[in-house]
Amino acid sequence: MNWQLLAESYAAVFTNPQVLLMTLLGAAGGVLLGAIPGMTATMGVALLIPFSFGMDLVPSLGLLLGIYCGGMYGGSISAILIHAPGTPSAAATLLDGYPMCQKGEAGRALSVAMFSSFCGGVIGALVMTFLSPIIANMAMKFGPGEMFMLVVFGLSVIIAISGKSIAKGMISAFFGLLLCTVGLDPTNGIPRYITYKQTDLLEGFEFIPLLIGLFAVAEIIAGVERMINGKEKQERSTEKIKNVLPDWHTILKIWPNILSGGLIGTFIGAIPGAGGDIAVFVSYGFSKSVSKHPEQYGTGIPQGVAATESANNGCSGGAMIPLLSLGVPGDAVTAIILGAFIMKGIQPGPMMYISELPTVYKVFAALMLANLAMLVVGCCGVRFFAKIVSVEKKMLYPIILVVSILGAFSINKSVFDVGVCVAFGVIGWLMNKYEFPLSPILLALILGPMCEQNFVRYMNIQHGNFFAIVKSPIAMVFAGVALLVIVYSIYNQHKINKREAAARAAGNAE
Amino acid sequence: MKKTQTKAFANLVGSIVFGTLGLWALVQTYSFQEAGGATTYVQPAVFPRIMSIGLLIFSAALLIQSVWKLLRMKPEDDMAQPAESINFVKDKGVLAGLAVIALCILFVVGFEPLGYVLTAALVSAAIMLLIGKRNALQIILVSVLVPLVMWLLFYKLLAVNIPMGVLQFLRDLVDKI
Repeated sequence: MNWQLLAESYAAVFTNPQVLLMTLLGAAGGVLLGAIPGMTATMGVALLIPFSFGMDLVPSLGLLLGIYCGGMYGGSISAILIHAPGTPSAAATLLDGYPMCQKGEAGRALSVAMFSSFCGGVIGALVMTFLSPIIANMAMKFGPGEMFMLVVFGLSVIIAISGKSIAKGMISAFFGLLLCTVGLDPTNGIPRYITYKQTDLLEGFEFIPLLIGLFAVAEIIAGVERMINGKEKQERSTEKIKNVLPDWHTILKIWPNILSGGLIGTFIGAIPGAGGDIAVFVSYGFSKSVSKHPEQYGTGIPQGVAATESANNGCSGGAMIPLLSLGVPGDAVTAIILGAFIMKGIQPGPMMYISELPTVYKVFAALMLANLAMLVVGCCGVRFFAKIVSVEKKMLYPIILVVSILGAFSINKSVFDVGVCVAFGVIGWLMNKYEFPLSPILLALILGPMCEQNFVRYMNIQHGNFFAIVKSPIAMVFAGVALLVIVYSIYNQHKINKREAAARAAGNAE
Repeated sequence: MKKTQTKAFANLVGSIVFGTLGLWALVQTYSFQEAGGATTYVQPAVFPRIMSIGLLIFSAALLIQSVWKLLRMKPEDDMAQPAESINFVKDKGVLAGLAVIALCILFVVGFEPLGYVLTAALVSAAIMLLIGKRNALQIILVSVLVPLVMWLLFYKLLAVNIPMGVLQFLRDLVDKI
């Protein structure tokens, strides 16, 4: 490591007004885009890349990385406030973020999300700076078998997020996994549960409309029902946000979750094809499994928000590792950033560390700056975002519906997607009513396609011999950890149910 | 309280619904076309078949649990508590929920012919009236301004072309400006 060059690169990036301005603009745009359900950081980067054509490499990277980091945090705003994650990476944030909002702690949830996003991003950037060649080599050992087991590990979290009934959680998960199989088979292009004439479903159900339907539309229907029955009163938010950052007491509580989430996010982000959407669930499941009070997860605790938000921003640094070290993008956004590098005549890869070392260090600095810019934008916005929950619910529900429906449409510009969104809104409402948890469906929808594709690829490579997977130490580690998580989650849930039954019996006796 | 109003009975119904879905999905997999080629080791039906079997197994587990609970239910059991209702005749809240669903369906139907802005304005105004909002000025402002601003944001900033239906002239006007 050339420390002097690193310091010079940081100084060059942090003192360049154009880079500062572009990064700040990117972060602001990213936060806004991420907060709109249906708009993702990938879309933001793709939309704004033409604006970076005329700029030098570093300002243009500042702009793109600003959108990337801002978008990751922005997704949590709508997840916390309106129960509709703005981006798939914020899907797990609603598990604790929304209950916090319902308890009147929207501002606290937003500040924890922002602070954790920042810390996760910094962890990712630091790991990228100091360990990128090592992690890149490790990530490159991931073939379809290892990826399949990583996904199985991710799916093992289902039991941890199933709630009271594991059977109901598993029903939800298998329902979600079955939904993923609708459309053309990804390997052979053979239609499943559809005919070739049903062109809207050839590629299966689009994830975002489904997500918006299951969470936002279902919540609107349930909210209206509660209002008519007088079970939902307009609560003026009495929460006073003195500091936009979490207080020391909260930071002391959440720092282990931030650290584990940041590291999990960075590592998963470094694996090409895996990203924030899987990292958040792995981090949430890990955090819940090691907690002394797993029963509190899902009831609105800052640890749950910190675990997920640090993981998705940790991914931003992680995804840059294979890009810079090997020239392989870690996710869709870094694929676009790879295009920006190539346009400027720079080919990322192992040789970049020899021929373009100053540029590599400037990229490290730009990512750090992007995280700082996200923090600044977040700090400015927390008070404003928190006010959204104070809007009268009689006006808020129609507004959420109007925004959500537009988000569902904008993905493919398809009215069919709007229909899917409404249909899954009804399904989500009914499932919620009868206590079938929705989070396992979400996890299944994210991981299902990855699971099938990697399983099929692995089987084809191994000529149908699945048990050859025992020869892969990485896959076996994931399989072992998945098994441990499943056993421990079942034990934990049993303990929680027993404790609740005892409390209920004591209550009845009184 | 009747056993048919308990959570255990609701679970029983849920297990039958998901079990039927799983069974239907499983049967369907046998009609999937097979992929040819010597290197195809996993047929397109394999993954959906595993998933539908999984759905069937856990539906059966929930069914057995529910029947067991219904037979040996104690009043203090969580499963003996009343389940949520979907009886729209007795429950005004459910009726209102169904009305929102009907409005959402109207949103889908009217999205292309009437356009996003007009449909969104009508649906949001109807929902506000349904849940007891009576301030006419606020209803008009929210139901007109929000869809209009969202359309402008998506159309001008994010380049998303949204159907405008009968309000097509607005797009022409914005394009001219």
